[in-house]
Amino acid sequence: MYRKFLKTTKSLTVSLEKGLNALTTQEHNPLYFHGALPLYIFWFLIFSGIMLWMYYIPTLERAWSSVNYITSLPVLGQVDGKWVTDATNASTGIPYGAVVRGVHRWGAAGMMIATVLHMLRVYFTDRHRSWRWLPWISGVGLLAVLLFVGVTGYLLVWDNRAYALVVFTQEFLRSLPLVGGALADFFVAGGQITDYTLTRFFFFHIAGATLIFVLIWVHFIRLKYPAVTPSRATNFLTFGFILAAAGSYPAVNVTKELLEKYASDSRITQYSDYIASDAPAHIGTLVTNIRYDAWYMFPYYLIDKLGAGWAWAVLGIAVALLLVAPFYPKDIRDNIAVVTEAKCTGCTFCSLDCPFEAIDMVERTPGSKFKLIAVVNEARCSQCGVCVGACPFLAIELPNTHSKTIEADVMALLDQGA
Amino acid sequence: MTDTVEKKNKVIVGFVCQRSIPIQDMIDEHKALLDDPEVKVVILPCSGMVKPTQMEMALTKGADATFVCGCAIGDCHYRTGNLMIRARLEGERNPKLRKTTDKRKVGMFFFTMKDKAPFLEALKGFKDSVAAIGGEN
Repeated sequence: MYRKFLKTTKSLTVSLEKGLNALTTQEHNPLYFHGALPLYIFWFLIFSGIMLWMYYIPTLERAWSSVNYITSLPVLGQVDGKWVTDATNASTGIPYGAVVRGVHRWGAAGMMIATVLHMLRVYFTDRHRSWRWLPWISGVGLLAVLLFVGVTGYLLVWDNRAYALVVFTQEFLRSLPLVGGALADFFVAGGQITDYTLTRFFFFHIAGATLIFVLIWVHFIRLKYPAVTPSRATNFLTFGFILAAAGSYPAVNVTKELLEKYASDSRITQYSDYIASDAPAHIGTLVTNIRYDAWYMFPYYLIDKLGAGWAWAVLGIAVALLLVAPFYPKDIRDNIAVVTEAKCTGCTFCSLDCPFEAIDMVERTPGSKFKLIAVVNEARCSQCGVCVGACPFLAIELPNTHSKTIEADVMALLDQGA
Repeated sequence: MTDTVEKKNKVIVGFVCQRSIPIQDMIDEHKALLDDPEVKVVILPCSGMVKPTQMEMALTKGADATFVCGCAIGDCHYRTGNLMIRARLEGERNPKLRKTTDKRKVGMFFFTMKDKAPFLEALKGFKDSVAAIGGEN
């Protein structure tokens, strides 16, 4: 039943991609670069993050205003489709700072969307199981760290929403038995919120981003020639989308005073609340009706609606299912590549071509005719036979699909004639 | 008369990945394509398993042409099998096709499991081009 489900999801996915192939050709189908796309977007986040870092001040007093200085564009909302800014409050901030922050903000959304699509695509096409367990498990870790980095990014702005998220997070952590209190204190760097709290969030944000690189290395470690960049056309298109989003909807700060000032202005039809930060945080003043970003704040939505206990349960079950997924159902593994020692010349062709780094070239014993021999790591072998195609010496074979059998099949087909 | 018999016995040998086109539904019990009995196939776990020497063997032992069919480029179930056989047949990766092999008789197709019709169309084009070579010779 579960296998049938995976077969159906694969069929549906291929149908969707086939439609896109007609438009883009196979070489440029963005859905074929689903794994490289999050990494590509990550570079935008790194570079825009470094630029924001140059001006960001992680203290309670200055965090919000430093972000405001960077953006320098107090956008209020739209009038007849055009963005309205308040010139009286315009700072002399950083040129295009709002666009750079917009790239960071929209890039973050893009990376999460691309990552989730990547995960779904891998799952739906049944490419998450068996010998691929390490990329999948490290991918679950990457998703968790990405979520953490995204949430800490929201905290750095230090607006009303950031304060509410900190309070929720502390409640969430405190609900854990034994270690909850210590974790909650560790989260804010002490028993109460101080300047060290924002320094800690800043550390979490940067350390988390660094950890993403480490996990990407683990993600790739069993993949030969991993796709690290999409096609050039997809690159330009993604770059264009992010820049267009950042230019059209720059990320800005909105103060309560400005909103009140313009509240009576009937021309303003749509406040830019979904792209902007809130008013600066005031410790002790908890604004509970915060706006939840769908991509990064769904755990907080769960905490809000279900309470900390049930939120732990739901998230725990979800993570457990993701971690178990690559081990069920089990494949029949009776066609693992076998090396014939006497025939192996140590040419390395099979090792170079193995898509899953399942073949190591090791030193032979002294006095042997050849220096190296191929050794198959059975747990990593996918039984694909790419190594067999690479071997000119019939030294590596799949026992159930032997080259001699294939050649005999060819001869039999030729003997039959048309 | 002899020429006619040879043409009737035309055989094209294909090496087809089991995860690309829906090959199991496209062949009879003799591994001949239902839509074109002149085309006979060997089914493999992945197109990357094909050795260029096997395709050369098919040609030297009497096949009029030979081809490999793998998953869509960018969508190999085993990640890079289709890229490997493409590179081998294009002479960019070892083991390569022999220089003496008539490359016009060696086809490459890359299609998804939903691409039966486009595959048959591409195959027809390949057969026509091979037939034209026969005319030249």
